[in-house]
Order: sequence, then structure tokens, then C-alpha cells
Amino acid sequence: MSMFGMEPLVIGDDILDIGSRKAVDRYCGNKAQIGLSQDLLMGRPGAFDVPNVKDPALYCSSHFRSTCGTGDAGQEIKFAKGTTTLAFKFNGGIIVSVDSRATQGNYISSQTVKKVIEMNPYLLGTMAGGAADCSYWERRLNLQCRMYELRNGRRITVAAASKLLAGTMASYRGYGLSMGTMITGWDETGPQLYYVDDDGTRLKGKMFSVGSGSTFAYGVLDNYYREDLTLEEAIDLGKRAIYHATHRDAASGGINNLYHVTKDGWVKIHAIDVNDMHYEFEEEKRNEMSS
Amino acid sequence: MGTLMASTEESSVVATTSLPIEHRFSPYDFNGGTVAAVSGPDYVVVAADTRLSSGYEIKSRNVTKLHALTDKCILASAGCKTDVDQLRSVLDIRGKMYQYNHRKPMNTPSVAQMLSVTLYGKRFFPYYAFNVLAGIDAQGVGAVYSYDAIGSFERTQYSAAGSGQAYVIPFLDNVIGNRNRLEEKPILTATEVVELLKDAFLSAGERDIYTGDQVEIMVVTRDGIQTQTFALKAD
Repeated sequence: MSMFGMEPLVIGDDILDIGSRKAVDRYCGNKAQIGLSQDLLMGRPGAFDVPNVKDPALYCSSHFRSTCGTGDAGQEIKFAKGTTTLAFKFNGGIIVSVDSRATQGNYISSQTVKKVIEMNPYLLGTMAGGAADCSYWERRLNLQCRMYELRNGRRITVAAASKLLAGTMASYRGYGLSMGTMITGWDETGPQLYYVDDDGTRLKGKMFSVGSGSTFAYGVLDNYYREDLTLEEAIDLGKRAIYHATHRDAASGGINNLYHVTKDGWVKIHAIDVNDMHYEFEEEKRNEMSS
Repeated sequence: MGTLMASTEESSVVATTSLPIEHRFSPYDFNGGTVAAVSGPDYVVVAADTRLSSGYEIKSRNVTKLHALTDKCILASAGCKTDVDQLRSVLDIRGKMYQYNHRKPMNTPSVAQMLSVTLYGKRFFPYYAFNVLAGIDAQGVGAVYSYDAIGSFERTQYSAAGSGQAYVIPFLDNVIGNRNRLEEKPILTATEVVELLKDAFLSAGERDIYTGDQVEIMVVTRDGIQTQTFALKAD
């Protein structure tokens, strides 16, 4: 290969390497080749652009937050935020139940967001906090899980997958990422549920609820949760908890998507509009009161 | 960092401070405008106004917000024009590279994913661009994708973005999405959708200072892209 920077620019097959790993290697491998290689980079691949200020982390975490509630009120750009999600383990597996509203400031940007990210047939991730942060990093996690599978000839455990994500979050700590997710699946150790946070928190547990409506969901969950719930009871519990959260939290609403994680992978149980649930429960209340 | 010392020659009133002076790094400008898109079984209609504003001034009445990335896919962006221009350049380059490597243009769902990661690549210094991607997917069905500034995206039947988003979307929710209506949801033709979008922009133009002058409407079908313009009030 010729020494670029010394000769006139020759358009060779390296033009196809723009933005690729090869360009990185040329840039890092031999600094003398910087002349052309820098043009190939298109920014620094694998690295994020940051604003040209003295403390980029501070600037980002104060100007580019996708935080809950009105935390981003003073920002010029508001990002889409996700809200109530919950998951709990019981004797029949794991139930994952989420709402589907995304807000940007006071504006409801979507009522049909898929907050359960189907990473692969046996791993599910949920989305709460910044919508883009969750979907990007969980997609990245999916890639890492697949690479693990290809390299090791077996599926990754939920513990390892959640640890990969937690490690990534810890390395971007202080930059204003917002992500509260639950990684769940069924691996050789049984059903597993982990909570992973944007500051690198990783907790193993039996029941979690994440998002602005989580407190309302916990109220219902804590009241009725038992380990020996039947599948129907567990589905009903997941449905009710989300309904109550959407009823009282302005930033939650839309459609309740509910999944069941079994030994053979996850299954989507239902997608019910929470408004329809309202009338169903109201009728139930009326019937109970009159009996 | 810096200190301002009072000048001893003149008796000027200059503050003496030992606190750092922050010069605010404010790289964004909001140039306004509204974009909207509606998809159908074999078409997609994208519309955008052509006004460029800065603060209370109208800088131009004839700047396009639509950009064809492939012959089946259009990117409509409102926000900060300079970021929109840069985003378009980056997407064009990546699209070309894909085409040279794969000997075919990118299909719309792939463009949608590429736009998402391109936006997220600047998560810590975002493109101030609110995008709507509209195109025909691999099966020939119309597709509309809505984005936030850092790449969270979703395929929807219709979408709007920009300063007039809150005026256009409720109208589309009712007429295209059939929300809060009792009649059955009609299947609309491309021509009917064009008329509906004209109505939507007329209404948005009445109430949003940044929307007006002209609407550029593009209809994308399997056979290509057709453009038309529609005049709005210039006030």
C-alpha cells in the first residue's frame, strides 16, 4: 500500500473503507498515513461526537437529558421518554407488562411505542427512560448476545447479558443517558429477571417496576403478588397494575402489551387499550358492589 | 478563569470579579416549519412547508424541507437547517456507499434504521432535526417512520414533526386514524390524502407563525416521485 500524505491522492479501493474498521486501523496503526486516512474516518468511528466545551459530560448531562417528568423543561431539544413498565417472576415463569406512551415535554409523541424490546426469542428487554437510549443500547446488547452465541456455541445467560449492558451504562456515567430497563429471559438456571439502570446499577430480583408510573404499579403488585399465582391470575395482575399506573400517571397510557416468558422462550399474550380496560374494570366494580 | 480589573485611567464602572465568566455555548437555532407524511396501501404522501425563519424573522419563503434519499424514500426534516443539511449529506454518503457495495439502493426499512443510528451517533451533541421518513417498503406498501432528535423511531401510518406538529397531528388522528369517530375507517386514495394534507397545512399556517408561504407535496409510488406545490398565506 502506498504511503498517503506523501503522494497525490489516488482513489483506490480504500475509498470503500470510509467509516469502516479498516479506516480506524489505518488511522491508529500508522500516524504517518494520517493524510488520507483522516478523510476516511468521517468522525471517529466507534466514538461519539461531543460538544467542544471544557466539560462535555457536564454540558451533556445538563442540556441533553431525556429525564422523567419536567426535568428537561429548560432544554431546547426534548427527547422521547418511555414510562411505566413492570416484570415479575412467579412459579409459571415471568410476566412482563408495559404501557405504550411516549412523551416529549408535554406532548404525547406516540401512543403505540413498543416498550418491550424483543431482543431474541428467549431474551426480552423493557424500555423506560429515554426511548432512543433504550432502543439503541438494547439493540447493541442484542448484537453482543449474538456474537457470544456464535463464538461460544451456546446461548448467553441472562446474568451475563444484563452485566454487559450494566457495564456499558457505567462507562457512559455522567453523560446524561436515561435508561431503566429490565432484562429477562429463561436460561439454563431458570427464569431470571435483572434490573439495569443508566448509572450502572444492576439488581437481580423477583419483581420490578420502572418508570414514572412505577409507584402506582408497585401499589397494586405488592398487594396481590404471590409466588404461586396461576398463569391467568398473573396475567390479570400484570394487566391491572399497568391499568392503575396509566390511570393516575399522565405520562403513561396507550396500550398494555403483556408478555409471558417460558422455558421455550417468550410469548406475547395480549395488547389491550387501557381505555377499554377502564370500562371493563368499572363494570366489574359495579357488579361487585351490587352483589 | 478570567478577571475583569477596573481601569485606573478612566473611572469606568467595571465589575471586579474572580468568578469564571461563562460564555454560553449555544450552537442551535430553530428555523421552524412543519412536515407531515401519510402512508397508504401502495403510496405515501409527504408534505412540508417552505418557510425558513429565525427568531421573528422570515429568512426565506422558498426553502425545501424534503430530500429524496432514494427514488422510493424521502426524508422530511424540520428544526435547525444547518443540522438538517449535514444530516442529509451524511445519509447521502452512507446511502451511496451501500449502493456501491451491494449494487442496489437501500430499501426504506434499512434507511429507517440507518437514520436512527446516525442520529444516535450524535447522542451527546444531537442533530437538531425532527425527522419524518416516508417511502415505499420492499413489499410495495407505504411506510412512514417518525423520529425524535436522537433516533428513537417507530413505523406509523402517519406522522408530523416541527413547529406545527401539535396542530397537524390531532387533525390526522381524527381523519386518517379515525380516532373518536364512529364510522368505519375509510381506505383513502393518494389524491384524497393530498387534499387532506393541504387542509392540515392551511390550518397549521393559520395558528403557527413558523408555518406558511408554500407547501411542497410529494407522492411516492412504485413508479416514482411526483411533486406539486400549494400556496399558503404569506403572513
